[in-house]
Amino acid sequence: MSFDIEFIRKLCALLREEGLSELTLVDGERRLTLRREGGPAPPPSREARPEEAEEEGHLIRSPLVGTFWRRPEPDAPPFVEVGDRVEEGQVLCIIESMKVMNEIRSDKSGVIQEILVEDGAPVEYGQPLFRIAPS
Amino acid sequence: MEKVLIANRGEIALRILEACREEGLQVVTVHSQAEKEALHVRLSPESVCIGPPPPAKSYLNVGAILAAAELTGADAVHPGYGFLSENPDFAEACRDLGLTFIGPPPEVLRRCGDKVEARRYAQRAGVPVLPGSPPLHTKEELLRWASELGYPLLLKAVSGGGGRGIRLVRDEAELLEGFTRAQREAKSSFGNQALYLERYIPSPRHVEVQVLADSQGHIVHWGTRDCTVQRRYQKVVEESPAPGLSEDMRRRLGAAAVKVAEAVGLVGVGTVEFLVDGESFYFIEINPRIQVEHPVSEVRVGRNLIREQLRIAQGEPLGYQQEQIEFWGWAMEVRINAEDPEHDFLPSTGKVHIHSLPGGMGVRLDTHIYQGMEVLPYYDPLLAKVITFGETREETRVRMYSALRRLEISGVKTNKELLLDIISHPEFAQAKHATDLLDRLTHHQ
Repeated sequence: MSFDIEFIRKLCALLREEGLSELTLVDGERRLTLRREGGPAPPPSREARPEEAEEEGHLIRSPLVGTFWRRPEPDAPPFVEVGDRVEEGQVLCIIESMKVMNEIRSDKSGVIQEILVEDGAPVEYGQPLFRIAPS
Repeated sequence: MEKVLIANRGEIALRILEACREEGLQVVTVHSQAEKEALHVRLSPESVCIGPPPPAKSYLNVGAILAAAELTGADAVHPGYGFLSENPDFAEACRDLGLTFIGPPPEVLRRCGDKVEARRYAQRAGVPVLPGSPPLHTKEELLRWASELGYPLLLKAVSGGGGRGIRLVRDEAELLEGFTRAQREAKSSFGNQALYLERYIPSPRHVEVQVLADSQGHIVHWGTRDCTVQRRYQKVVEESPAPGLSEDMRRRLGAAAVKVAEAVGLVGVGTVEFLVDGESFYFIEINPRIQVEHPVSEVRVGRNLIREQLRIAQGEPLGYQQEQIEFWGWAMEVRINAEDPEHDFLPSTGKVHIHSLPGGMGVRLDTHIYQGMEVLPYYDPLLAKVITFGETREETRVRMYSALRRLEISGVKTNKELLLDIISHPEFAQAKHATDLLDRLTHHQ
């Protein structure tokens, strides 16, 4: 394998065509890495939630489609507030789905940093509900 | 009916979305976690993530779909094809919640889903069926019926469908060997291990008839479709009308299909399938839903079958008689699948790169693919349906050849070359092919 300019040009084309962001070739001692800035523009996403990936903390996500309730009953106090310390297994909220009240429990111990959904709002599968600082 | 939830994905979800728009209906779609970027999601004003990628947890998740309908205020559900489209429990759950299920009532789905029961209805309506057995549970019953019917036979799952759960047995040894395995497969695939036997016709033509029934009991048919080119009992090429049949045979098939639809109490659209052997025909099954190959009937009749479904579901009458339907020219459809011809047509996954797509006069492309789309291992490998239509079969066939030549996709392997082989095969060109053409072509390679 010779790393001549024509060969590298072909590799560049391949990188573009296949939408790859990086390609590494190793031939004995020699090693060639091609890296592409940017890559193909991703299709517009209606559900991009940049905060999900960028901020610190552990996310509790909804395991089902339904309505988010912060309280066990309308007049009762909320299960948790921002700043509360919660233990693994503690109930954080209720997701009502098809008239069934499903208790959602924390899978980590820590402190509630943020409540990401309004009381009574519809939530979809996988939607972040709480951000917890694990401890 | 004001707002329709589309409980499906891929090209059919797009088709339904667009038909709803034409009908002036609002739409909400659903998607799995893996399909947030899918076209049906991006193009619908509202979409709900209903579960993780595997279909059992998302597109087959009855609770999540009904919850999504409730949360978004949908008052109707269109199930598309596959997934929950023939599930009577789902249709019943919709009804219990006051949602319009766009399809037949649960009782009709149950009747059609039980292949032995459906045969009985056809028989009672005076439509010929292939000689066959009742549901069989023991080896003794099986052997007794097999010797009565005579080999070769098809061993079929009572709750099977879509070409699955069928095996050919040529003698007693194959029958006994296949029985236990087929029972196990039927149990895991369809939740019902019951099997039955049916006489096998070696070189039949597989012809189906599109039927429509409104809620007032008025039934029409939209002519015949031929799906003789099959692989493992799955349709690969479909055309309308069915070639090589006399006008008289086409008329008899149309009338028989209407009789079956009436007998089972169909409301909505359906497909009645027959095997044609010379001058005889036999009812095989009725699919009470929209079918993948429906476009070949649409282009000949000049009407939109999904819109007809939506109107029937709203209680509107069909508004025309059989005699008023004019059939135009010829139509063909092929399924472009992401599959690897060099590895026994296993599904091929990867990122789709589109170089060129079919188009031009008499060409229709129904697809959900876009540049850079990820083909996932969880779902049906269907990438696109290419439909061509023309004044004659030959014009339509050549047009299909041209359309396929224009199709250039990389990133995933497709069955395009095999389709070109079929379309240009002399037997296909003369419409002298039987159901084994494809097997012969693939074994030849």
